Amino acid sequence: MLKELCQKMFSRSLWVYHANSGGCNGCDIEVLNVLTPFYDAERFGIKLVGSPRHADVMLCQGPVLRPTAQALKRAYEAMPAPKLVFAIGSCAGGGGIWYDMYNVLGPIEKVIPVNFYIPGCPPRPEAILFGIAVATGRLDKKVAPVQFKQVEFPVPRYHPEDLREEDGMVVYEKLEKV
Amino acid sequence: MTAQPILDAIKQKFGTAIPRADIPANNRLFVFVEPPALKPICRFLFEEQRARYVIGIGSDDRPFSGQFLVAHNFAFDPQRLLCSILTRVGPENPAVESVASVIPAANWAEREFQDLLGIQPRDHPYPKRLVLPDGWPDGVHPLRKDVPWNHCPPDYDENREFAFDEPPAGCLVVPFGPFHPTLDEPAHFRLYVEGEMVRGCEYRGFMAHRGIEKLAESVLTYNEIPMAAERICGICGCVHNVAYVQAVEQAAALAPPPRAEYIRTVMLEIERLHSHLLWVGLACHIVGFDTLFMQSFRIREPIMKAAEAISGNRKTYALCLVGGVRWEITPELKAQLRQVLDRLETEWKPVAQAVLQDRNLQIRTRGIGVTDPELVRNYGLIGPVARAAGVDIDCRRDHPYAAYDRVDFQVIVADEGDVWSRLVVRVKEVFESISIIQQCLDQMPNGPLQLSLEGELPSGRFGLSSVEAPRGESHHFVITGENNRPRRWRVRAPTYQNLQGIPAMIQDQQLADMTITLGSIDPCFSCTDRLETIDLRSGQQRVFAPEELVQLARNFRKTP
Repeated sequence: MLKELCQKMFSRSLWVYHANSGGCNGCDIEVLNVLTPFYDAERFGIKLVGSPRHADVMLCQGPVLRPTAQALKRAYEAMPAPKLVFAIGSCAGGGGIWYDMYNVLGPIEKVIPVNFYIPGCPPRPEAILFGIAVATGRLDKKVAPVQFKQVEFPVPRYHPEDLREEDGMVVYEKLEKV
Repeated sequence: MTAQPILDAIKQKFGTAIPRADIPANNRLFVFVEPPALKPICRFLFEEQRARYVIGIGSDDRPFSGQFLVAHNFAFDPQRLLCSILTRVGPENPAVESVASVIPAANWAEREFQDLLGIQPRDHPYPKRLVLPDGWPDGVHPLRKDVPWNHCPPDYDENREFAFDEPPAGCLVVPFGPFHPTLDEPAHFRLYVEGEMVRGCEYRGFMAHRGIEKLAESVLTYNEIPMAAERICGICGCVHNVAYVQAVEQAAALAPPPRAEYIRTVMLEIERLHSHLLWVGLACHIVGFDTLFMQSFRIREPIMKAAEAISGNRKTYALCLVGGVRWEITPELKAQLRQVLDRLETEWKPVAQAVLQDRNLQIRTRGIGVTDPELVRNYGLIGPVARAAGVDIDCRRDHPYAAYDRVDFQVIVADEGDVWSRLVVRVKEVFESISIIQQCLDQMPNGPLQLSLEGELPSGRFGLSSVEAPRGESHHFVITGENNRPRRWRVRAPTYQNLQGIPAMIQDQQLADMTITLGSIDPCFSCTDRLETIDLRSGQQRVFAPEELVQLARNFRKTP
């Protein structure tokens, strides 16, 4: 359901807004990294915008703290629907090491609904890109371990025990052995 | 001997008020004084001995000595000494004389121990709430030992509003933050604007206060804290990691093996490289020079990969343990790192040239956000902000740690004190960092990475450590304790001091220059975080307490 909606609504350019509600900056600069030449999210049409009013997606970083909870909520409400929320990093996803501190409310989901979680401390830029690709329907979500079946190898493998030397050259004897 | 003459000078003047003084090492001094003498001694050090104010610390020592502990730390940069003036105050209604009227830099620190420990700074020029959120009830102080780390009072009122000042006559209010495109982190500024000119500013920050000091004192253990310390800041995490470990090592009189010291130096400089490249990129982004933003991030990426190859993570290196380091730099990694550095140097040269000769950039940044040595001294500004104003301080040289006393480097100083000078200082420091890493790789001795420690660390000892972060001096203060964890751990991040200088820097500047001025100190709110109002006209500082968020949110809707 969500996937179909995403594919329909967000299949073109995503404009993202990033909101740090009290994290350490680590995820922030990885998000910046994603937007710059090495990872270049702009090739997927992803653009960072300065206002939640312009955004389709909110990238949340850091745990929700007591002073920022309401500001975050308002930023979320300011976004036009349909909208997606990404919780980037361990703190946004689960509260991180601060989850029960006196000034910390906990993960982002305590304040606003979250659609996608990207774990990591901080998540690698590749992980953030993967999350975005899943969200936009470009990749399938990894929900369980995927099993691969070994297909038959078409070229002969190297079997040293089958090697024989002849006139100073090495000759393969059993080429059919796979 | 550098500590002794200074102790003698203090004793000569205040002899009877000093029951005890410790000189654990040549470059550390702990003076215990009677509470009434605290302010005169701090004044003496600041005004007559020309010491640099570092930080004020409060600690709940009641379970051990039945009293609270207050300390003011000073640095004597030319004499290479870190000094702490400590005093004990009674358990009932603890209060000390405020030093903020003499030393403006102490303003936040005193308000912080007022919030977190309930130690009253008497006659503080602006004794309002700084750290705790607006809805937090009065009288609950989370850093006291009898308050659990996860305790939130039941009468916490999230709707309490913050009462902002009336703007000066003829001024409009422009809210800036908490979520603002140029701020990576939440912080709120309320600017008073007359036409295009900023006439005053109220600051309500400390929105990223996560309570890591409490976490360390009540949940974590000595060797878990370095990993948590790294999460203080995602950019300069390794600095906190090393500073904490060095403070504990100093308290317990441990000397890490030389190879570990070299590895620490290498990682700290790798961090400085990536942080400075990041900052140059962001600063250019703020003034609209996006090409350079992209270029510097491109150049920066191989450093991140090199750091990952050494430590297994791009930013949080998890480098130190008490008494050593965890990661080895193998010959293969050395070769790889050398390659990365060579490439960085050749790529950074044209960029540096382009930046330093760019006229648009100069027009945008010259004469903006100016500081002078007097402001630097009064507010305790540090790092590139101080060096750009011609104040020649650098912890790597002044308070050598790790292997910095064995490498050769130049402290880059500029003298105009504006945003442009800060840019120049940072661009040039990149080359120094590259050279430091290369020297370390050449000189690195073989040997163990980690001391073998036996038994518990001694308790009740004090440790101080200063580490030069990319943004300035990061200062850690540790009191060792029982149960394999410290009794008190105080972190003073560089932005804590530099942010206090912002109101003076933006006064009578154009509104459009606010972003780059703020950007130029390379603010790191997660390191610092807490709330304050500053009326620039009178130069008075005030802190704001609760009830702010609703106001904030209302303003937020009006902000584009």
